[in-house]
Amino acid sequence: MQMFINALATAAILAPAAVAFTLIFTLFRYANFAAGGFVTVGAFAAWTLNAPLGLPLWAGGVGAMGVCAGAVALSDRVVFRPLRGRSGGTLLLVSIALSFVIENIIRFCFGAQVKGFDLPLTGPMVFAGLRVPKETVWVISISLIATLAVGALLTFTPIGRALRAVADNASLANVRGLPVPGVEAFGVIVAGALFGLSGTLVGVDLAIDPNLNWAIAIPVIAAAIVGGLGSPLGAAIGAVVIGLAEELTAAHFSPTYKGAVGFVVIALVLLLRPQGLLGTKVERK
Amino acid sequence: MDAYLVAILTIAGIYIILALALNLQFGLTGLVNFGVVGFFCLGAYASGIATESFHAPFVGGLCVAMVTGAVAGGLLALLSLRLSGDFLAIVTLGFAETIRLIFNNEDWLTGGPKGLLIMTRPVLADYSRSANAWMVLAVVLTGAVLTLALMLRLAGTPYGRVLRAIREDELVPATLGKNVFVYRLQSFVIGSVLMAAAGSLYAHYVQTITPDNFTTPVAILVWMSVIVGGPGNMLGSVIGALVVVTIYEGSRFLTPWLGFLDAEQVSALRFIVIGTVLILVIRFRPEGLLPEPKHTPVVPATRRPALKG
Repeated sequence: MQMFINALATAAILAPAAVAFTLIFTLFRYANFAAGGFVTVGAFAAWTLNAPLGLPLWAGGVGAMGVCAGAVALSDRVVFRPLRGRSGGTLLLVSIALSFVIENIIRFCFGAQVKGFDLPLTGPMVFAGLRVPKETVWVISISLIATLAVGALLTFTPIGRALRAVADNASLANVRGLPVPGVEAFGVIVAGALFGLSGTLVGVDLAIDPNLNWAIAIPVIAAAIVGGLGSPLGAAIGAVVIGLAEELTAAHFSPTYKGAVGFVVIALVLLLRPQGLLGTKVERK
Repeated sequence: MDAYLVAILTIAGIYIILALALNLQFGLTGLVNFGVVGFFCLGAYASGIATESFHAPFVGGLCVAMVTGAVAGGLLALLSLRLSGDFLAIVTLGFAETIRLIFNNEDWLTGGPKGLLIMTRPVLADYSRSANAWMVLAVVLTGAVLTLALMLRLAGTPYGRVLRAIREDELVPATLGKNVFVYRLQSFVIGSVLMAAAGSLYAHYVQTITPDNFTTPVAILVWMSVIVGGPGNMLGSVIGALVVVTIYEGSRFLTPWLGFLDAEQVSALRFIVIGTVLILVIRFRPEGLLPEPKHTPVVPATRRPALKG
């Protein structure tokens, strides 16, 4: 049971970023490996606002979402937009190079020391004999609310419908009078904010350092693939699957192999059910 | 200075082999392999363990490395080659990370993060240090030249034409009765074997390998060599690798002018520059320094009936 809570905590960190990754994939049809880089940007933005500037963590989190939204929008504008229409492999290579640049910009500015948030110490909460740290409760609830909110936004609001229409067929949406560039920009900003949220949550649970980039990119992408690329709900479920798999590995093999879980899960999913849990087959080139 | 030049050339030779191998996979066949560093690492450790724990000679270690590379490449290819571009990239990237993690954790086999000490060198006994360095360089360059010769040959044969056809549109060679999957598998495995061989050369050159030698930056440098040189052009990869190693190693000489930055920042700055250049090249000159030669079929001029006048 304790393990399940740990798994949920991991899932809570991964879920927003996995939803963001899948959102970018559905809009532009490429796997953005800079996901880990953006999460790291979020973590450092929240840390800067929290520890040196002394703001409360919620303000740091909101700031991180803003900074990340800006970073993702900027990267889309400067790096990815001129390359629209190139093959998925090329964009993937570019996104890896980008995440490499982001990681090293962070290292350049902040150094390689491990950082942590300035949080008051709190005792654990006790539910039915289970000791759960208060931070974990916060992390899980905030992530759940955010993921549900984005799900609701995509499903029920006009802008969400527009976003899905553009993702499905941009030229058709254009013909029907949807402002495609605006809708795409909105999607990019939502994705950026989600990366920022993941970055803040990851900082609560783990240490913040530039190496976070790869450590977080693989499980995030694994979660999105397990859930089925293009399905935000699937990405959230995928995050829970990855969280469970990581905890099981840590319990039964060795905690040091947690990092390999994402890869093994991706390999299994691609072998057995390439479209993921909730995905539909995507025509790809 | 002499010793430094020999060291840079040796590293460049190893990168040339890696770049040529990746150019076969990506440039000719269109396989997006981000696991370059995984095969490189596997070859280095396989060779190191064979020579140190089992007292094989250097050539034995090299062979073990190549066989290991072939097996790993074959298995990974069987698992993932049916997947298209970006999924293959994800799986190979994960493979490289996993290999590094395993070698970092299984101390009994690899020495873990402390590293594996390799005493065997591809040199003759009883010579001076600098003579040894030249001998290692000669071995590495021989490897690079052999690889280049093999690749130039491969790219020019009908076999290479099939690979290029698969890259452009796999339906066309499939329609002509070529088994696309087998061709891709072969291309991937040959590339993996060469990468593992490069790993073996590297291991016996540096003599101490730790999993930290095999991180993503190495893969980025190899990718940059191929992209800058020109995907699909084998000579381009050689030039690309030389350019990249020169930029990377040469930027050390800039350190005195960057005295206001600490070592960590200088190293970060180098990687920022490398990543940015890679993105810029992809955007503005995707065909690289040496574009792939165009293969336009030679169509005999249609004979026109002479005009009567």
